[in-house]
Amino acid sequence: MLKPFRFLVFLLLLPLLALPAAAQSDPRDLINELSQGKLRQRIAQVEAIAATGNSDVVPALQALKDGDLYFKKSDKTVYITRKSGRDLALLDPITGEEIEVVASGAVEKIKVNNSLRRLIDKAVGGLTLMSKDPSVRISAAETIFESGDPESLELLDEAIAAEQDPTVRKKMDLARAAVILNTDASDETKIEAVDLVAENGGRNVLNLLKGVTFNASPAVAEAANKAVEQIERTLVLWDYGQTIWYGVSLGSVLLLAAIGLAVTFGVMGVINMAHGEMVMLGAYTTFVVQEIIRNSFPELFNYSLLIALPLAFAVSGGCGLILERGVIRFLYGRPLETLLATWGVSLILQQGVRTIFGPTNKEVGNPDWMSGAYEIGGLVITANRLWIVVFSLFVFAALFVVLKKTPFGLQMRAVTQNRKMASSMGIRTPWVDAFTFALGSGIAGIAGVALSQISNVSPNLGQSYIIDSFMVVVFGGVGNLWGTLIGAMTLGVANKFLEPFAGAVLAKILILVFIILFIQKRPRGLFALKGRAVEA
Amino acid sequence: MITPFIIKALDKKASWVVAILVAIAIFVPIANLALPRDSFFHIPNYAISLMGKYTCYALLALALDLVWGYCGILSLGHGAFFALGGYAMGMYLMRQIGTRGVYGDPVLPDFMVFLNWKELPWFWHGFDMFWFAAIMILFVPGLLAFVFGWFAFRSRVTGVYLSIITQAMTYALLLAFFRNEMGFGGNNGLTDFKDILGFDIQADTTRAALFAASCIALAISFLICSGIVRSKFGKVLVAVRDAESRSRFFGYRVENVKLFVFVVSAMMAGVAGALYVPQVGIINPGEFAPANSIEVVVWTAVGGRGTLVGPIIGAVLVNVGKTFFTAAFPEFWLFALGALFVGVTLFLPKGIVGSVSGLYGRATKPRDEHPNLHSAAKEAAAE
Amino acid sequence: MKEAKGSLLYLDGVSVAFDGFKAINNLSMVLKPGEMRAIIGPNGAGKTTMMDIITGKTRPDSGYVIFDGEIDLTQHDETDIAAMGVGRKFQKPTVFESHTVWDNLELALNRKRGVFSTLFYKTTGKDREQIDEILETIRLIARRDELAANLSHGQKQWLEIGMLLAQEPKLMLVDEPVAGMTDSETDETAKLLREIAKTRSVVVVEHDMGFVRNLDVKVTVLAEGSVLAEGSLDHVSANEKVIENYLGR
Repeated sequence: MLKPFRFLVFLLLLPLLALPAAAQSDPRDLINELSQGKLRQRIAQVEAIAATGNSDVVPALQALKDGDLYFKKSDKTVYITRKSGRDLALLDPITGEEIEVVASGAVEKIKVNNSLRRLIDKAVGGLTLMSKDPSVRISAAETIFESGDPESLELLDEAIAAEQDPTVRKKMDLARAAVILNTDASDETKIEAVDLVAENGGRNVLNLLKGVTFNASPAVAEAANKAVEQIERTLVLWDYGQTIWYGVSLGSVLLLAAIGLAVTFGVMGVINMAHGEMVMLGAYTTFVVQEIIRNSFPELFNYSLLIALPLAFAVSGGCGLILERGVIRFLYGRPLETLLATWGVSLILQQGVRTIFGPTNKEVGNPDWMSGAYEIGGLVITANRLWIVVFSLFVFAALFVVLKKTPFGLQMRAVTQNRKMASSMGIRTPWVDAFTFALGSGIAGIAGVALSQISNVSPNLGQSYIIDSFMVVVFGGVGNLWGTLIGAMTLGVANKFLEPFAGAVLAKILILVFIILFIQKRPRGLFALKGRAVEA
Repeated sequence: MITPFIIKALDKKASWVVAILVAIAIFVPIANLALPRDSFFHIPNYAISLMGKYTCYALLALALDLVWGYCGILSLGHGAFFALGGYAMGMYLMRQIGTRGVYGDPVLPDFMVFLNWKELPWFWHGFDMFWFAAIMILFVPGLLAFVFGWFAFRSRVTGVYLSIITQAMTYALLLAFFRNEMGFGGNNGLTDFKDILGFDIQADTTRAALFAASCIALAISFLICSGIVRSKFGKVLVAVRDAESRSRFFGYRVENVKLFVFVVSAMMAGVAGALYVPQVGIINPGEFAPANSIEVVVWTAVGGRGTLVGPIIGAVLVNVGKTFFTAAFPEFWLFALGALFVGVTLFLPKGIVGSVSGLYGRATKPRDEHPNLHSAAKEAAAE
Repeated sequence: MKEAKGSLLYLDGVSVAFDGFKAINNLSMVLKPGEMRAIIGPNGAGKTTMMDIITGKTRPDSGYVIFDGEIDLTQHDETDIAAMGVGRKFQKPTVFESHTVWDNLELALNRKRGVFSTLFYKTTGKDREQIDEILETIRLIARRDELAANLSHGQKQWLEIGMLLAQEPKLMLVDEPVAGMTDSETDETAKLLREIAKTRSVVVVEHDMGFVRNLDVKVTVLAEGSVLAEGSLDHVSANEKVIENYLGR
């Protein structure tokens, strides 16, 4: 169980290893001495290495303990080894650099026994706890916290006394408390320790405290029990927070898928069943951009999404423009026919993409800045989801500005409110229609760029979003951008809250049923316009 | 009271259609079973099963046309009623398998044994009796349509909003039926049927009989539709379609009008599904897919909505095309179907029957679907 | 509502607002059985909204609308109110365009309107007589089998009035019946309405002053959602406020 942590320590040490060795006696010489002498002398040797107080020696000591430390028979130099096929790779004991690969017969293992192992543990703990790098000290403290090894108590006390950095000190105090719970200290001390641990909170102390409730004296157990309850309560709150985050994340996906529809359906009243395919085209544009970058300009890969955004807008927007000029404009005022014709277009686009790119899922890569995760308190937030939330809000804000603050937005609203009046004031209504539709489609395209990061890019991508998108727009209130935002977020969060009870599929069904019922109650959505104009 | 209804239903042109359907129901099975294989008029088995499928599709399209063409309710969820009728029939057929299943359980269908279920869920009881299944075939789609319509029409959800929520309805059902916990065989649906009413479902005679039954069901439904649209109620339907609010101000309960016709239509769709399932041998959740329901709309649109013969012709033509395309150029079927959607809405808004009758008959307004014109439509169709 | 007794239509303190805009503001009006009333007023005075309220299309925020001395119309919807005997002709003629003139009238006839009554309905000789009579009145007998869509604008206005007659309402609300009609048609319409008013109450909204004068009935002037003046046309025409708000100096 310790292994991963040791590895962690090792990783954290890696940058240090590159530093020049400490001023005192060169640790490399001390390490090389391990190849001489009997097992009896080894204790002194290890103590000498530890006495350097230089944490560069930690990997070598760990390797010794794990039996990975060998010396070359020819020149008695010591190396850390790693299996390399049937041979052994020799690594520099300080830097970890691979020096050469030799047959296993050319080297000999440095022997080690259990008492030595204990000594090494202590020495490593001490070295890392005393390290100059605070992050090393923190991870050392965390390692001790996890193991709760009573033997580290002495070391810890020393380290705590010497520690200047308050954050590191806090970690060490926590580790000390964990250790104390494993000793046979008095009840008062243990209860104090429980309180200290509980204060820290979080999922990782929960197991520790739960263990205490079984093994300790009644008084301590009670204190631990209380602490567990307390922590579980906070954890529930964090869980809610996490669920809300997942909901917001789903909501942002819905928002992205629906926001273009909020323009074409919400503002223009055109039922575009090919909307999902506009999203799909955006995703495929991303795929093509990445393919070109991979093959020709691999260094640009991290910018691939930024490059894909304007292209996806152009591709989907262009398709939208053609669709409006070629089909939809003949069907204004006949919403049901528009629905059918655009459905036909969606079939053609799907099959077109299937013919060109094949029916299978396409791999669209995440750039570096979109991978990884952040931990905030009890929340885990993955970078790609975070970016999608930010991006969806950005697109929303941008669209809002275009609609409300630009001359084009003004013309657009004028045309949708009173086409005849707008046209007699010199607005070219057909072009406004065409560009509004292109705008909505283009937005769907850039939504596709974002969605390519989290869903499968296949010809069916659009279909999986179309019903959801319509639900969001209708639920939020047609013609109301804010409604779309709030609708998307509400549905996203509601879905995620239902999932634990109902399972993903049933949650989705329940949401659909809810919307169906909701539309009965408020046929015009959450934020409906009122008045005589609407009735007409 | 019922007499004027029937008299109106059997006006001259409608009688012709019914007569033709009955004739097909009689002579096609004979041509299949009685004529020698090398006879010119022999109809091969594969053709019977294809024609049986088309007839069910035609009935489904007719049902959709009753609500869409005559009452302006564009349902994008009629596939759901079709599938529910199909499932009701499928459940009966599953119960008929008995011990002949893979696991040999006398009561539980195979998939339940597979899922380790110990007893039959309550909603599977009774389906071992045909009469019960037959009632359910009408009742379940009818009930869904009633509940859905009760809410939707009362709160005056119309136009595309209604279309979108009907689509959401069938989508929700699609997701639900995919779940194993629902107890309808999940992903795989119901299949491996053995016999129906004691007859081997694979036998040529059974297939021919099922085809004949489909034709008769279509003929009866045609009669019912014809009676509805020719009655005063049919005039109210069209009035509601063209000027819903005006009909209210004349004292018509628009929601009841819609509800009635929606439920009748859903039941017809259920019958179509029930006849479809034994002929294709399987029912699975895929039938609930929204795309299927929209395809029905295009059959109706191609043939001519607001006419009763139109949807029948449209369903058959499009599906013949589909059979041909998917065999000859599978890549191009979706292109063709997509183009059909666009083409029909742009260039043939009245569909084949509507356009032909327009050439034939009196000059009419584009949106006109006056019942009297159906005669002209049928004359044209009979050509 | 004691005051409502004996009246056919009684509006008291009716107000309705759309997004803060008061379309009808504390409107009160009484109509006696058999009375014909003309309503005039500038655009946006609330004439159409008033009709919407009476016929159940719009629900008022406050106030009473009592029909026939006892029924509160604000509690009913369009269908109920139509069945009670309130007929309405819209500003823009609204007939069932894909039905023939005859079918339009048959649909409007005051018969049972339930699903099954219409499904099994059989046209009787009495129905035919009544429809023929109305066709005579509205002068469309020659075009009885033509589609309503093919009628001229004036003929559609008349057909709609004919449909109201077939509905046999106690109260007829007529919104701008002569818009788009020639002078002779206007005169004919006035004659027709006066004829109709002998057997039932009629409320006519109209801008055409000549037509209103021709009707020769009590006039109510609406402005900004409430009653500005009431009385004979000459009386209201002399009213300072009316001149300022509507007629102009």
